[in-house]
Amino acid sequence: MANRREFLTRTAAAAAGLAAVASLDPVLRAAPPPWPDLAVVHGADPAKNTRAALSAVGGMKRFVSKGEVVVVKPNIGWDRTPEQAANTNPHVVAALVAMALEAGAKTVKVFDRPCNDPRRCYTQSGIEAAAKAAGAEVSFINDRKFREVAIPGGVAIKAWPLYTDLLEADKIINVPIAKTHGTAKLTLGLKNWMGVMGGSRGRIHQDIGEALADLATVIHPAVTVLDATRILTANGPQGGDLKDVKRLDTIIAGTDVVAVDSYGATLFGLAGPGLAYVAAASRRGLGQMDLNKVRIQTVQA
Amino acid sequence: MTAPEAEARAPKRAGGPRARTPGIVWARRATQTGFLLLFLFLFLQTEQRGADSLGYPVKLFLDFDPLLLFSSLLSAHAVPAALWLSLLLIPVTLVLGRVFCGWACPLGTLNHLAGSLRRWPAKPRTRGWFRVKYLLLIGLLAAALFSAQLTGLFDPLSLLVRSLALGAYPALNVALNGLLDLAYGLKVNWAPALGDALLKAFSATLLAFRQPHFRQGFLITAILLAILGLNFIERRFWCRYLCPLGALLGLFARFGLLKRRVSEECTSCALCDHACQGSAGPGSTQGWKASECFMCMSCEASCPGGSGGFGFGLSPSPEPADVGRRRAVLAAFSGAAAVAILRAAPGPGAGRPAPLLIRPPGALREPDFLERCVRCGECMKVCTTGGLQPTLLEAGLEGIWTPVLVPRIGYCEYNCTLCGQVCPTGAIQKLPAEQKRKVRIGLATIDKSRCLPYAHATPCIVCQEVCPTPVKAIWFERAAVLARSGAAVEVKQPRVDLDLCIGCGICEAKCPVLDQPAITVSSLGESRDPDHQLLLSQ
Repeated sequence: MANRREFLTRTAAAAAGLAAVASLDPVLRAAPPPWPDLAVVHGADPAKNTRAALSAVGGMKRFVSKGEVVVVKPNIGWDRTPEQAANTNPHVVAALVAMALEAGAKTVKVFDRPCNDPRRCYTQSGIEAAAKAAGAEVSFINDRKFREVAIPGGVAIKAWPLYTDLLEADKIINVPIAKTHGTAKLTLGLKNWMGVMGGSRGRIHQDIGEALADLATVIHPAVTVLDATRILTANGPQGGDLKDVKRLDTIIAGTDVVAVDSYGATLFGLAGPGLAYVAAASRRGLGQMDLNKVRIQTVQA
Repeated sequence: MTAPEAEARAPKRAGGPRARTPGIVWARRATQTGFLLLFLFLFLQTEQRGADSLGYPVKLFLDFDPLLLFSSLLSAHAVPAALWLSLLLIPVTLVLGRVFCGWACPLGTLNHLAGSLRRWPAKPRTRGWFRVKYLLLIGLLAAALFSAQLTGLFDPLSLLVRSLALGAYPALNVALNGLLDLAYGLKVNWAPALGDALLKAFSATLLAFRQPHFRQGFLITAILLAILGLNFIERRFWCRYLCPLGALLGLFARFGLLKRRVSEECTSCALCDHACQGSAGPGSTQGWKASECFMCMSCEASCPGGSGGFGFGLSPSPEPADVGRRRAVLAAFSGAAAVAILRAAPGPGAGRPAPLLIRPPGALREPDFLERCVRCGECMKVCTTGGLQPTLLEAGLEGIWTPVLVPRIGYCEYNCTLCGQVCPTGAIQKLPAEQKRKVRIGLATIDKSRCLPYAHATPCIVCQEVCPTPVKAIWFERAAVLARSGAAVEVKQPRVDLDLCIGCGICEAKCPVLDQPAITVSSLGESRDPDHQLLLSQ
């Protein structure tokens, strides 16, 4: 916890400092940060795309240091196979696990609180097998491990039980899949935190925009990797009909989850401001949803 | 203990020191242990692991139960292929007698163990009520002939699976989870590590993935405990006097080739008679009852002189117990009459289909289902969400302890087909996944007075989100409703598509209106019953 907070504070301070200096100094302004805000990678191999996306935004070593405990949080919400595009692609998850371990992580944990039976979700999604093979500790949610977390400044939720393993991790890698959703319209990066909520989380749909922005104020991923290898264009978030699945062979990575989600919306012909939670998060200064102000690097892997 | 008592208890042995336990008894003990462990192992494997099938033949013991075969043939005139395996037990019994009871039956082994817990007097009293089990068998088979399958209530294997699954195992899990709560709750910084270590150890062995809870678990466990308790009155009381499978095997064992022979050197000390688990009278060649002998070889172990033994021979033993023709006829009549009396009551829906009688997917039409279901509890044990529960009176008294889905406890997992896979009698058909996903077990109905978007101008989409059909059976009607302030609020009000809803109940299970969900499933429209339909098109 302390490690992550420290890291975030330091990063924020450094970024603020850099920005301040850069805006003053014409020479520094001419030398932008070495990596783009968003990397958008297209290619046939999801694992390669993931590696290319990470290296475009600075490489895994930018985010993970030696000896750290890392949580890779995919969406394993449904009893569906990878072809049905309801869960994060297993190759993408496995690639991130492998990269985190290569960067020196002590442990990489993978978990989610599914909507369907967890055993079926973990197996049928292919994520348990792939992540374990890559060296991750894959575990089911243990109900005894939720801890009430205060959300100071929360608009829709002031406190909620969140999963301890996530709270105690040194680094968090958010790896959602892009798909449609009944209330939220789309489920992308910000919505992925529903998977670490305890209790009767279905209630947050009553004010999904503010609730997800509230969560984003207390959960700070080092990087968000949006899996758009296959996207679900209708009947999400669960799908089940291959006709609703569109193969995009795309991975989007960035440190700003709001920018990632805003870009993710465009995959469905929507725009970030049209999603309540993106708009809410942007309004609270949690990230940049205006893609004109986001430096995007497109890579062909 | 007074001196005369002590004297009475001390076995009087001609040879002085206690005879050595013969190898055959050790072999029997090892076999019993092996079968019991196999039974328990398969029991523990009767659980969702994430794949589409279990990987173990978890209903193996039931497949080898000829009582289920014969009674199902009488009641339903059809059985799944695997149940024919049980016929193998007949030739085995015709050669070796009730060796199944003494060497293999897990309930028999538990009874044997329970009986060993008590210290018995040298001459324990035996009541000789052997005929009761034959009368019970006759009654059950007569009921089956008139299409009521009640055998499973008394069949030892169904009874044991059911009692363990619905009572003992959930209780064990309560205890294990209590220990885990204790460990995780310790006010020390190594509590989580201790909890994790225990959880890992328990999960790898005995702990269920989620705490099972079953209605009537108490009653069902109490019956098992009572059966085990009877062993304190007489050793293997159940096996001697009550077990209908034992009775069925006894009918064949009468012609068994392996027979007890007592030589002329026998001093008639009667030690073997007192040691006999079955009270089968091994003390004399003439008095030995082949149909009551479990072949446990306790007589061999107790004999000080080695004057008894077993050998193969052809002559059939005397009639199995003194059932008597009148009693047999009365038992048959009672079984048949019981069916009529049970069915004289109005059905559980009082003339209409019972709304809460949501049967598992693949369950046959109700009368056909009741002809087959032996209430072994396998489907309830394996149910992924724990939603399959034993009925009490929801299916009428005749249908007691048959499975019913209670969505509030657990919904039917869309891609899961395990209940059909473990059903030993085909009451729940084994369906391929793509077929199972199309089976309607009921229909969801929305209670507009409790549903947030209808009653409270508040957005909510949980039922639609979790609805598993590829084209969702819940769709939204956009409606402008007034909030108290007078402001018009646009909400999406859920509607159920009657053609698409399969009644799985996940909407009811996940509805955020927790205590009394705003969407509930009833059995209306279930595919198994063409008369229980709502729509003209179905």
